[in-house]
Amino acid sequence: MTAVVEVSAPHAGLVAAPRSMLRTVLRRRMGLVGAVMLLIALFVAVFAPLIAPYDPFANVHISITDIYHKPSAAHLLGTDDGGKDVLSSLLYGARVSLLVGFSAALMSLLIGGVIGIVSGYRGGRLGASLMGITDFFLVIPDLALQIVIVAIAGQSLVNIILVIGALGWTTTARVVRAQTLSVRERKFVFRARAIGAGDLHILRRHVFPQVLPLMMANLVLVISLAILSESTLAFVGLGDPTVISWGSMLNFAFSRGAISAGAWWALIPPGMAIVWVVLATTLLGTALEEALNPRLKRHHLEADPHAEADRTRVGPPPPLPTPGVEAPILQVRGLSVEFEVEGGALRAVDDVSFDLHRGETIGLVGESGSGKTTTVLGLLRLLPPGGRTVAGQVFFDGEDLLSLEDAELRAVRWSRLSLVFQGAMNALNPVRQVGDQVAEAIRTHEPQIGKAAAAARATQLLERVGIGRRRGSEYPHTYSGGMRQRAMIALALACNPDVIVADEPTTALDVMIQAQIMELLAGLSRELGMGTILVTHDLGVVASSCDRVLVMYGGRIAEEGPATALFGDPQHPYARLLLASFPDIAHPERELRGIPGTPPRLDDMPFGCPFAPRCPSAFDRCRTERPPDYPIGEGRRAACFLLDPAEARRG
Amino acid sequence: MAEPNRSEPTLVVEGLVKRFPARASLSDLLHRRRIPPVEAVAGVSFSVSGGEVLAIVGESGCGKTTTANLLLGLLPATAGRVLLAGSEVGSMSRRELSRVRRNIQMIFQDPYESLNPRMRIAEIVAEPLRVHGEAGTTVEEAARVREALTQAGMTPPEAYLGRFPFELSGGQRQRVAIAAALTLRPRVLVADEPVSMLDVSIRAEILNLLRALADEHGIAVVMITHDLSTVAAFADRVAVMYLGRIVEHGPTAEVLADPQHPYTRALLSVVPVPDPAARRRPQILAGEAPDPSHMPAGCRFHPRCPVAFDRCRSVDPPLFDVGEKHQAACLLVEGGASRPAPD
Repeated sequence: MTAVVEVSAPHAGLVAAPRSMLRTVLRRRMGLVGAVMLLIALFVAVFAPLIAPYDPFANVHISITDIYHKPSAAHLLGTDDGGKDVLSSLLYGARVSLLVGFSAALMSLLIGGVIGIVSGYRGGRLGASLMGITDFFLVIPDLALQIVIVAIAGQSLVNIILVIGALGWTTTARVVRAQTLSVRERKFVFRARAIGAGDLHILRRHVFPQVLPLMMANLVLVISLAILSESTLAFVGLGDPTVISWGSMLNFAFSRGAISAGAWWALIPPGMAIVWVVLATTLLGTALEEALNPRLKRHHLEADPHAEADRTRVGPPPPLPTPGVEAPILQVRGLSVEFEVEGGALRAVDDVSFDLHRGETIGLVGESGSGKTTTVLGLLRLLPPGGRTVAGQVFFDGEDLLSLEDAELRAVRWSRLSLVFQGAMNALNPVRQVGDQVAEAIRTHEPQIGKAAAAARATQLLERVGIGRRRGSEYPHTYSGGMRQRAMIALALACNPDVIVADEPTTALDVMIQAQIMELLAGLSRELGMGTILVTHDLGVVASSCDRVLVMYGGRIAEEGPATALFGDPQHPYARLLLASFPDIAHPERELRGIPGTPPRLDDMPFGCPFAPRCPSAFDRCRTERPPDYPIGEGRRAACFLLDPAEARRG
Repeated sequence: MAEPNRSEPTLVVEGLVKRFPARASLSDLLHRRRIPPVEAVAGVSFSVSGGEVLAIVGESGCGKTTTANLLLGLLPATAGRVLLAGSEVGSMSRRELSRVRRNIQMIFQDPYESLNPRMRIAEIVAEPLRVHGEAGTTVEEAARVREALTQAGMTPPEAYLGRFPFELSGGQRQRVAIAAALTLRPRVLVADEPVSMLDVSIRAEILNLLRALADEHGIAVVMITHDLSTVAAFADRVAVMYLGRIVEHGPTAEVLADPQHPYTRALLSVVPVPDPAARRRPQILAGEAPDPSHMPAGCRFHPRCPVAFDRCRSVDPPLFDVGEKHQAACLLVEGGASRPAPD
């Protein structure tokens, strides 16, 4: 799998398959230790009669000297108040603890699972009342109720299991319900319903497999709670008197003078045994939970500070920019970005160079995975964790952004080099008025501006993007998607930036809103003389708003040229096919052709030209050699061997 | 496969209405205000024949997805009827509904989300057969799964059977979703934005596949989309929806070349064209469609309409015939007079 695809795949909320989950858990030291500890306890419980040196149930004649006898060769852990071997009792005690723990937990799991799934899946009145019952049980003090019930019903092992199981399911029910609720909303469940599947089928095939791993993780934690409950009950004298459990060992030791006799060996071993099992299940359960809910990953726009630090420069130094009025505001030279993966690095952007002038709009187009977004994140130093620029320079107004200190970079970013990204409309703070947020952005970068002045400028900016004074003092949730995106543009413009990078600014918006936003951006860039980089897959948007176009494929620039020239007469086969696959409402009669095959994966990048495997005119050289840029007229270049004069002569 | 039968429509929709109860705010409750229900679909009628592709176009919130859900019986309709191959979907018992539903299958927008990540391709494609008890023997089931995958262009099918969705590209996943929809040999396919999540280079292939299913297997295809340029290359007829209503309806070529409703005209004018030289005058409508809970009186488009006049504020126009099979809901074409487009 490619790193980028993994990062952007919308699989949050999905849990891993049980088998892979188990592997993940055992790879964590915590999970492994817990599992081994639990296995040891299980082994002891199962084989207690074989490994115990004495039978604690045997009737043996004892003398007074056998009581609370110190640990010796015959009795490794000494003897208890009845003159019985503590070690043997301890080993037998594991049976009761684990039996009660597992059966009570299974019972809890069953009750909690059914209640959780039913209330989560059905919802409505039934779900609400089931949750009401759950909450009721949740607030009951478990121990007190357990003591009362066991005291009344009788101290048998079965009663103890039933009581612990019947009171311990509430957390399971809540966890399962939450997961069911989220799975129920998934599109594949909806699709199953559209197929005509009934509830039972959907529950069995689609919901349950998603909930099961979570129930397993929960089970382990419930086991440890059940073991603790049993020990507590036995300790207060409510254990089953016919069996030996660690709790009852402690109870007898305490009540029959072990402390006054100084018989620590009758107290500490059962206590440690309880700690051992509870620790084992807790470790295992915590590891399972972590495997299911990996700690929230850092947002991909939050740069990893270490990612840039060890950047090494390779390749020849690019020509130094000459400062001056005519110089491009942004010059990207040989930018390469890699993502670290297990056992190596994958190159997502490979040797990308381009210029951006003031007042100019350039379009960066390509399919998903072509590296267009990674290119702009790389030049803004906003790469997701694991990504780093391994080569290249980015001159912004003569300064190399990639060699700036973090603090210097922060001063430039946003105030002079601003960003509007895809789905940005969800990035507004929901509890602050939109106008205040814009004013705050202004004051962050220009602290000398007074509050009133900043507020006035914020109002002005919002008006410019079509949000009136009245709406400016409202909260983001009252805005529609288009309005929020316009508010984000106002935020991006807060400090009169020289360059604005817009990454899919209109994706997921309606055509009419898209037209509004694109017109707004174009107008602002003309008016303010901003340079704009527009990253998009929509060739129509590029054609209508960009001066120059860069077509990216496989992390490289396949073709660059003025929009009119490139759209009129594309030279790179990929550019040509991409244009042919894009529907044109002005020419509905034109037959649409897709490009066979799929874009290359980062871990499987072809050796020569990245497009060669899908290219209808590829020849041998394309597969062995990487095509350089060939100039093709005024301001145009394309990386294709078909444009090599030598190839042309050869025919 | 069903025989292509172009004389009798496979799917007929008559006066379909869906109202959702509106949520009352606290102040509404305190003032005892009656909250009128939100009308997401307000009297939609159309029909599709086998082998035909109808595109329902509109902006988000226009009711096109609700319409799709009503067609499949996933939501109960408030009024109106859906006739599938002659029998009415709404009046059926659950059992009958499930039997009829095999004739109408749906393809969703997001092939990343609509396939269960835990299931193998073979299981996903076979699921509809199992749900409807048509799986038969293992051999029969495998044969139908292979047939469906082949129809959906996943060849050779053996190469995909044992894979999981995450191992496939977006286009391949959408093909799997289409194959799953085809296993029951449906008469109607409802495709809700089937290509909007896919890369441009892959869209054409999926659209061509849907077109081929209509042409070669006589399936009636209803495509729900916001993208007019996709429609242009692909659909036989187009119905433009605005706020729960079809405002223009007709053969694609005619609607695109000579749009009669001002909304259609505005929508067409803002569709980006991949030609920088094209001098177009985009007619950008101010604001956004009002939300259906605040429906304007009269024509629902008049607050944004550049050519609205007095009567538009009080009269809600029905669909008027403006051509042989072309209708528009605008008072300007009331007499059926098809006036030339202003450009």
